[in-house]
Amino acid sequence: MWMARDPATALGIWLPGPYDRGMGFNRVTWTPGHERTPIGASGFRHLARLRRQREARARETAAARALKGSLMSLAALLGSEVKDPDGRSVGRLSDVVVHWTTRGTYPAVKAIVVKTGKLEVVIGARWLEAAPPSAVRLRSSRAYASAVDRHPDDVALARDVLDRQVVDAEGVQIVRPADLYLAAVGNRIELVGMEVGIGALARRLGSRRLRSRARPARVIDWGSVSAFAPPRADRDAHRGRRSEIAGEAGVGLELDRGAADVRRLRPSEVRAALEEALARHTAESS
Amino acid sequence: MSAVGSPTVPVRRRWAKLPRWLAAVLGFLAILGPGLISANAGNDAGGIITYASAGSQFGYRMLFLMVLITVALVVVQEMCARLGAYTGEGLGALIREQFPLRSGAAAMALLFIANAGLTVSEFAGIGAAMEIFGVSRYIAVPLALAGIWAVTVFGSYSQAERVFVVMGLVFLAYPIAAFLGHPGAGAVVSNLLWPHFLHSKAFLLLAVALIGTTITPYMQFYLTSAVVDKGVTPKTYQGERIDTINGAILSDVVSIFIIIATAAAIGGTGPLSDIGQAAAALRPVAGAAASQLFAIGLLGAALLAATVVPLSTAYAIAETAGVERSLSRKLREAPFFYGIYTIQLVVGAAVALLPGNAVSLVINAQVLNGFITPVLLTYILILANRRSVLGDAVNGPIFRVVATLCVAVVGLLSAVVLVQTVAGWL
Repeated sequence: MWMARDPATALGIWLPGPYDRGMGFNRVTWTPGHERTPIGASGFRHLARLRRQREARARETAAARALKGSLMSLAALLGSEVKDPDGRSVGRLSDVVVHWTTRGTYPAVKAIVVKTGKLEVVIGARWLEAAPPSAVRLRSSRAYASAVDRHPDDVALARDVLDRQVVDAEGVQIVRPADLYLAAVGNRIELVGMEVGIGALARRLGSRRLRSRARPARVIDWGSVSAFAPPRADRDAHRGRRSEIAGEAGVGLELDRGAADVRRLRPSEVRAALEEALARHTAESS
Repeated sequence: MSAVGSPTVPVRRRWAKLPRWLAAVLGFLAILGPGLISANAGNDAGGIITYASAGSQFGYRMLFLMVLITVALVVVQEMCARLGAYTGEGLGALIREQFPLRSGAAAMALLFIANAGLTVSEFAGIGAAMEIFGVSRYIAVPLALAGIWAVTVFGSYSQAERVFVVMGLVFLAYPIAAFLGHPGAGAVVSNLLWPHFLHSKAFLLLAVALIGTTITPYMQFYLTSAVVDKGVTPKTYQGERIDTINGAILSDVVSIFIIIATAAAIGGTGPLSDIGQAAAALRPVAGAAASQLFAIGLLGAALLAATVVPLSTAYAIAETAGVERSLSRKLREAPFFYGIYTIQLVVGAAVALLPGNAVSLVINAQVLNGFITPVLLTYILILANRRSVLGDAVNGPIFRVVATLCVAVVGLLSAVVLVQTVAGWL
């Protein structure tokens, strides 16, 4: 039986040159009617690497799916309705306040700022209940709200951290969080990670539904970002914006000694970190 | 940062043995920096063709407008330099932090469009300059595109930049040409000190183009980033302030001389029909070689701006997005930065190759810049008016009024021309 050497030619497809040249994409390793070319040792190594990559991707996708229900994106939370247990709207979430401390790795949410009409009120974390992926509910319809009064150790995430530069010790910009991630750990809500880059920004520019799609695969562990003492007064005395961020909030943010320490966690690692935090929390409370 | 920003003390000590006049000259040259470079970047291919067109079409009538534009340029550049020195951040980063995300994205989209227009005019300038040497633009523009991209991504950008800057120095011949061209001194002074405006659509359109090419948005982004990169701090800001003001004035003086030289040579003959016609103004200096001299200068200025404008766009947008941005990174490490840069270069070169008159293409690109400039100036004004951003260095009450007036007048003029243009289409 006659068989064309080149299957593309047999099918009448024009190719710019011999099909087996080029960059290796779509390279035919076996042509019907011809002997199969034996794969060498390097070919086997290549295939094994591809297989390992595919398996790792599958594992990460599974872990990302599992995490999807526990992570809350700050970008998605902002502007969402805060409801009481009966489903009545209390107002819209305008900020989330965390308590900044050098002791813990993940700062705990201390309160939320809710906009009700023209007023902004603060509702303490003890009245809150996380409802992932993009809602916070009140535990009781009789939650205590107070006027906004900031403590030096409080950091308002939308105002002080989101879109601000997270700086290293030299004051050189390294990253700019495009989104922050919260997670319920025990009966606390903690700041567990951040996301940087175009993807998160594009999501924020899109619809609310798009914003609530957290992407755990892109989360940077908040453990890589540590609190430090307020910056030196001599450096920031004349710098209005810098002194505002660091001075008013009482703290600045610093990455652990340079960009090399910023680890982009895989979903499986985020999950492991969350489980570890939960176990630690359970052990502490018992 | 501070080590870079305070070199003046040891330098002054080193100059103590020099004659006083020489130390003064060296001291003046030492503070020349981002302000002068960024303001002079306005004298790119688009700028030169627009100024030459103003001289050719309306003689000296645009001179008073150039004086007003110089005041606005000084005010705007000073605000940008101050923002850079006091916050340590570029305009892109400040816009991201201080405005809602959608407003920031809108600003970046406008910057991209404005700079794409500029890139088109630079490639049109490259094509026109090479046509003076007898090389078709359909060969010159793709070659320039490939060369610029390769030099920036794989080669040494700083060395290429030096060559382009030296080529662009040819335009310093314009002030000499302006004197040798024997312009009517009385007419020049009268037009500089008193408005001789015309109430015509063409005059207004060219006025907006002059604003667009002189107070170009990309220059403001470039200046702020350059001030930050230079490590200027509030303590060393006074030197930078002088440099910025000097740069803006010197740059516009050259622009004014281009208008005077062209007006003296071919003033009142109507709009430029082709770019080579603008070379007529250099005849008093270069005689028969005027065209070649003009082409060398135009090529240098256009090549420099065709490299810097897309780089500035990519830098500003990547800075706003908070992603990797540096020529020292590899393509794979900063795909967004190089992606924006490449897209802008390719779009600019492709549009410049479309059939049509290069002069009108360049002028239209400057008009587009003129429409976008007031919008981006508003962002700068708001930032410089915020005490939370600049602390004690915030705009004072008088400066605030002057700056607001500058932005409002530029905005009003652009709005009038925009309405006229849209009404003309209907």
